[in-house]
Amino acid sequence: MRLRIIFSVLGIAMFFLIPKLFADYNLYQFCLIAVTSLIVLGLVIVTGIAGQISLGQSAFVALGGYGAAILATNWGVPLWLGIPLVAVLVATVGFLLGLMTLRVEGHYLALTTMAFTAIVQLALVHADAVTGGAAGMPVPSFELFGKSLSTGAELYYLIVPITALLFIVVINLNNSRTGRVFAAIRQSEIAAEAMGVNILVYKASAFAASAFLGAIGGGLLAILVTYLDPAQFGITQTVYYLAIAVVGGLLSPFGAIIGTTVFVFLPEFLQTFQTYLGLVFGIMLLGFIVLRPKGLASLIDIENLKKIVFKSRRESVGS
Amino acid sequence: MLGQLLASSVTAGAVYALVALGFVLIHKGTGVVHFGYGDQVTFGAYLVLIIQFLTGLPFWPAVIVALFASAFLGWAIYNGLMRPLRNAPLLVQIIATLALGTVMREFLRAYMGPNAWSFPFLLTSSSFDLGGILLVPANLAIVGVSLALLCLLFFLFERTFRGKSIIAACDNRTGASLVGVSVSGVFSSIWMLASVIATVAGILVAPVLTLSPEMGLIGIKGFVAAILGGFNSLTGAVVGGILLGVIETLVGAYISSALKDMISYGILILVVLVRPQGLLGILSVKKV
Amino acid sequence: MLTVRNLHAGYDGKEVLRDVNINVPTGSVVTVLGANGAGKSTLLNSIVGLVPTSSGVIEWNGGKIENTTPDQALKCGIALVPEQRELFLGMSVADNLRMGAYLRRNSLDIGAEQQYLLEIFPSLKSRLEQPARALSGGEQQMLAIARALMSKPSVLLLDEPSLGLAPKFVEEIFRILKQITGDGTTVLLVEQNAAMALDAAESGYVLDIGKITFSGTSEELKKSPIVRASYL
Repeated sequence: MRLRIIFSVLGIAMFFLIPKLFADYNLYQFCLIAVTSLIVLGLVIVTGIAGQISLGQSAFVALGGYGAAILATNWGVPLWLGIPLVAVLVATVGFLLGLMTLRVEGHYLALTTMAFTAIVQLALVHADAVTGGAAGMPVPSFELFGKSLSTGAELYYLIVPITALLFIVVINLNNSRTGRVFAAIRQSEIAAEAMGVNILVYKASAFAASAFLGAIGGGLLAILVTYLDPAQFGITQTVYYLAIAVVGGLLSPFGAIIGTTVFVFLPEFLQTFQTYLGLVFGIMLLGFIVLRPKGLASLIDIENLKKIVFKSRRESVGS
Repeated sequence: MLGQLLASSVTAGAVYALVALGFVLIHKGTGVVHFGYGDQVTFGAYLVLIIQFLTGLPFWPAVIVALFASAFLGWAIYNGLMRPLRNAPLLVQIIATLALGTVMREFLRAYMGPNAWSFPFLLTSSSFDLGGILLVPANLAIVGVSLALLCLLFFLFERTFRGKSIIAACDNRTGASLVGVSVSGVFSSIWMLASVIATVAGILVAPVLTLSPEMGLIGIKGFVAAILGGFNSLTGAVVGGILLGVIETLVGAYISSALKDMISYGILILVVLVRPQGLLGILSVKKV
Repeated sequence: MLTVRNLHAGYDGKEVLRDVNINVPTGSVVTVLGANGAGKSTLLNSIVGLVPTSSGVIEWNGGKIENTTPDQALKCGIALVPEQRELFLGMSVADNLRMGAYLRRNSLDIGAEQQYLLEIFPSLKSRLEQPARALSGGEQQMLAIARALMSKPSVLLLDEPSLGLAPKFVEEIFRILKQITGDGTTVLLVEQNAAMALDAAESGYVLDIGKITFSGTSEELKKSPIVRASYL
């Protein structure tokens, strides 16, 4: 308990300290890490913890981002309202998608979620009256109480607390009965059924959660990048998120943060090798899935740290 | 008009059939779905260009070299990646094949650039008339080569002993092992064969689509075709491919060419949900 | 001589066989009796490597073969006819037989072998081009044994060949067994049908929940009160 207070105080202190220490561009990067890790967190829940392979995360991000942007542009719905509203809608879509697990799993689930991503991307390109088509659409600026937030620092104070809040909610959920049911479903659906739970509802809920987080991430991402391009929301992107999750640690919410940090900062280190960026990401994914499928989170022994702080158990990926 | 549509359908269908065949071969034989197969098809086409750059060989010799190189690639993929992972959880295997595809695609993007290349094959777009239907050499080549390859495979699997032993091993792995068949040898052969098929498909389709790293999206079409035919049947893969070609062409002509792709992907979801065994296959989609 | 020494084996971490010791002299017929679940199949499966050996030694022809693979075991001359038969159900009877000779090179030899076996298994002769799944249970068992024999093995491992078969087929199988062993093939026969097994074999063992509880010649086994009570 004491450790939890110490971490919380440290966390809050760091939160206020960082904008004083870093340049606006770095704060922008922090925001990018926060947003991307939210998206990856969704993947951690559905694919890592609940064991349901989902290649649909890009689609949820796209729906969240475009949805909020369209509401703001065409109907004047302010983004602070539009983003959560759309996220709830997208979560419903995610739930429906999750109901498919009644009929499919494994390879077929991967294929159908992949098809879903492809369809959403194509829909965005073809509905050009609303979405601007292949050329994309600009995102209105985020306004709160009449003030528009656009600098790295301003967005930092918006995005980081939201991200932290959502992470705390997810971590608590993971340690509660819901998390245990997800883990049981991952390890053996038959055993989970024997627990007396309706596993279909839980699986669909895992999808809904990933969709919600993806959509919130999408909305926040839209604010950050200020312009939406459908090419950014395809299968390549979905594999990118998966790569982050694998490298960071599919089973661990902290893994989402670790992985994202690595993937966002890597381009900085590979300045001269920009063209090889995608290749490096691909090789990292390949290397980690073969050699260390539990990701970096397992190396840094966060599990043990968590054991002290949150009392959780060590589990294995996919089994 | 109908004849024209038929020509387009069969052309598209032939390519989809080849890609689907490769998938189903790997899945039926080794139990793995190669999510990076579409990217491997792209890689196969690029391989010809790369070999030409590295060795200065003219087109056809480069193709021969590429086919051998693909066989080696298939061998390497199985023995280097899939065999070590054979007891890993399904999720790990799926991600591994996805990663493989990603690495191939990104390698091409890094070394050959993200823009389209022109593929020095069947470049004459001059069409000729065949009984009222306008055809381009590419049409004939695609259908002709696909047919030839299918006949070759049929001959291999139905008439040669080695081929029959591969089918036997796919049918019953334990039984095959008991009669002396080395299962890892069979799996190597399957990956080598599927990799060669991928390169052939890539070479056929590169002149028609544009050769870019993104060409791998044809992989999903191959999936749809494979699922239509029931994921466990080789003949099903071919039938599914042709069927998909027909459906796409008809949709493109009578409904909207923009919606063509979306409808294909929609078909995948529909078939998986409503009739997972496809039109021909008998398979189990859900494990008990 | 096929020797099994101090064998501990089992699947999925469960130990089925405990400290099993068996000798099968070359050219002889040895039987292993036991109830369901005693571990008889596990014993045969671990000899060819279908089941992992956790400790112990399996020796054949001077070489150690524990934890091998079935295809390697066949290369050493050991053929298994498993309880589930593992036929290629989609292939014809002829092709199944042909597959049995997968490791052999000389096609004339193989042809002669097939002819010979079809004489011994007349019921297969009439069904040569039919798919294996069209055969009855008894005929499938015949096919499984014939397929194994196509490789001209030095050792034949038979896992409950009479299981679920009509008496007519059971008699035929044991008659064929006599004919095969006359040619010098070593046979390790696992059976629940103790009476027929002891008639066919020269010596035997009793396996009870993973341990050998009795061993001796067939005569000794037939006379033993334990065997008489439980298995005869």
